[in-house]
Amino acid sequence: MSNRFESLLERLAGLSVLDRIVISLAALLAAVLVGGVLVFVSGAFASCRSGLQLGGTTFCYNPMQVYYELFLGALGHPLEGGWSLTNYSLGRTLQQTTLLIFAGLSVAVAFRAGLLNIGTQGQLVVGGLATAVTVVYAASIVPGGFVGTVVLIPLGVLAGAVGGGLYGAIPGALKAYADANEVITTIMLNIIAAGITSTLLSWQFQDPDSSNPETRPVPEYAEIPNIPVIGFEEVNFSLLALAFAVVLMIGMAWLLARTSFGYELRTSGEQPGAAAYGGVDEKRMTVASMTLSGALGGIGGAFWVLMVHGQWLENVPSLGFDGIAVSVLAGNSPIGVGAAAFLFGVFQSGSQSISTATSVPKELVGVLTGLIILFVAMPEFFRLIGRRYVAPGTTEPVRTDGGDPAVDDGGDGDA
Amino acid sequence: MRNPLYRMQEAFARRPLAAALGAAAALLLGLWLTPASWQTATLRLAVPIALAAIGGIFAEKSGVINIGIEGLLIVSAFSSIVVVNWLGDAGATLGLTNLWWGMLAGVLVSVLFALVFAIVCLEFEADQIIAGLAVWLISLGLAPFASQILFESPNTANVARFDNVTVPVLSEIPLVGYLLFDTEPQVYIMLVGAVAGWYLLSRTNFGRWVVASGENPKALDTAGIDVHRVRYAAVLLSGVFAGLGGAGFALGTLGTFSGAGDTAINGRGFIAIATYLLANYHPIGALIGSFLFAGLNSMQDMLQTAGYSVPTELIRTIPHMTVIVVLVLVGRTRLPDAAGDHYESGED
Repeated sequence: MSNRFESLLERLAGLSVLDRIVISLAALLAAVLVGGVLVFVSGAFASCRSGLQLGGTTFCYNPMQVYYELFLGALGHPLEGGWSLTNYSLGRTLQQTTLLIFAGLSVAVAFRAGLLNIGTQGQLVVGGLATAVTVVYAASIVPGGFVGTVVLIPLGVLAGAVGGGLYGAIPGALKAYADANEVITTIMLNIIAAGITSTLLSWQFQDPDSSNPETRPVPEYAEIPNIPVIGFEEVNFSLLALAFAVVLMIGMAWLLARTSFGYELRTSGEQPGAAAYGGVDEKRMTVASMTLSGALGGIGGAFWVLMVHGQWLENVPSLGFDGIAVSVLAGNSPIGVGAAAFLFGVFQSGSQSISTATSVPKELVGVLTGLIILFVAMPEFFRLIGRRYVAPGTTEPVRTDGGDPAVDDGGDGDA
Repeated sequence: MRNPLYRMQEAFARRPLAAALGAAAALLLGLWLTPASWQTATLRLAVPIALAAIGGIFAEKSGVINIGIEGLLIVSAFSSIVVVNWLGDAGATLGLTNLWWGMLAGVLVSVLFALVFAIVCLEFEADQIIAGLAVWLISLGLAPFASQILFESPNTANVARFDNVTVPVLSEIPLVGYLLFDTEPQVYIMLVGAVAGWYLLSRTNFGRWVVASGENPKALDTAGIDVHRVRYAAVLLSGVFAGLGGAGFALGTLGTFSGAGDTAINGRGFIAIATYLLANYHPIGALIGSFLFAGLNSMQDMLQTAGYSVPTELIRTIPHMTVIVVLVLVGRTRLPDAAGDHYESGED
């Protein structure tokens, strides 16, 4: 399977940044179109009092309204009156963006090393529990107040990174030393993580004062603090957390592009043969990149605990799966992850607006996510369309010129 | 070489009669020693895993890794329940029982999704793993989405399930009669499907083409066979098998479909992939392998109903942990040479 990734990454590397952005935008547009058709058609099966009458069928859902709510509802309806920058919906969008940056980086780092880490979800679940438990126990030793904040938050994030990193190292080691396909092991480890954490919870860490499956809450001073005056007070979002995510994102971009570790990681993803020839220990690199990937997922879990809920809940949202979509849409580039995470933050937050303003199920967002991944996976589709409709003149000169790599490299990576 | 099923295959090749007698004796001993309720439950739980695995064998052998099988199980199980609920539990429509219409609908929807996957991979040269993940994630969103619209809940309504079909005389055979000849239709489909899959793959021209398309597409092309067409057929066939598995599981065992979280399919499609790797792409081996996971699954159900104070959530993951152990043991399974690669006729 490493051959396959080699060819895929070669193909991706052959694309210019502009190409990739165009393909991502085209994929987004295509997914929105298909999703719109789905919404419209499924409106015929829903029951409603008023809807569009067409040939005796009532179509209950209006895709335009759904997308209006999805995209603008997530920003707090800026086109309507009384809009302020720090409104609740935008806060919720940025909260999700922050978490998705961690999840997206986690998937992207592994992907750049030639590994498909579907296990970010499990790493996030394990890391989050490690954070909650560590902070709750450490809070009984550490003094409260400002000192508590300064000590407990870094400690909690570290605990999340260690928990997620160790859990990510497992599929890395299985891949490196037993050649077990990481796609399947990580999916299985996601299910196992849910089982293990829920067992640990009921065995040891359940909040005795609560009837819901959750840990004891961390003290309030151990939650990520909000910046006063600016706003976002009514939603569990902190600009400091977003800033940390952005710094981490830039740090990862720097790590991959400018350090020797990053160079070795990328080479083992793109050309494992060359990497091995250059003296990279392939097995250790596999374990190291999966550990790093898991640690990033674990940090996502830490922020989910310390920023959003102040405790670990058994019912963890599927941030890890959305992280796959974020990374795929971003072309696995750390900086691209920021933009893609904002888009999926809009999706997550907009799905809430959809369910308050319309009767369309918010599960639509899950379908859209899958569609985006599907369309990003087929750049050839957009190239064919592009060749046919956008620039019909380009095909002819290419042939006479003897081939233009920018247009023709779709198929030859596989030979 | 450490793979136990692979070893069994070798033993059969060397001394067919002795190996068959040994296997039969071991099987009968196992049947005599274990409770009947566990055996029947195992057989039923094996249905989605075995059929999805057999379908996956065809796709992967032809060179298309279909990791979206989980998604095919989800959509077929869901749509079969929807159709039965829509037509009504009892009775028949146009001379066919409503349950069988549900089965048919499940297979059709699964084939439709497999067709989309095949077009995306074969026409548009998509990365097979990413496209397969997309099929899974789309299904994971689509089933609860549609369920919310139709049932206003991520879970569907309850529908009737298949009744046992008893074969006279044969069902009286001690030890195996009640198990194999007094059971639900989807179990017969699984058993027949495994044999048919084996016959198709190893005894027909189509089977040879599938294998060649995965190992050496250029040779197949040179021999005048359209590689794309063979791959299309193989992927669609994986849709048929997965559809039978998903719909059979829903209409025979579940009687409802829960779309929350990992859905009622809960990773069985991925377990199926581990199963055919364990079986080294042998359809009969995949059937036997599926009994391993289904057996663990039904054992855990029995422990739970027997009221042992085991941590449920942890026990529930035993089949998934076993998948990892299995993958470690069979890590060295050789994939078909051209698996995952796009093939373009006329390339150098």
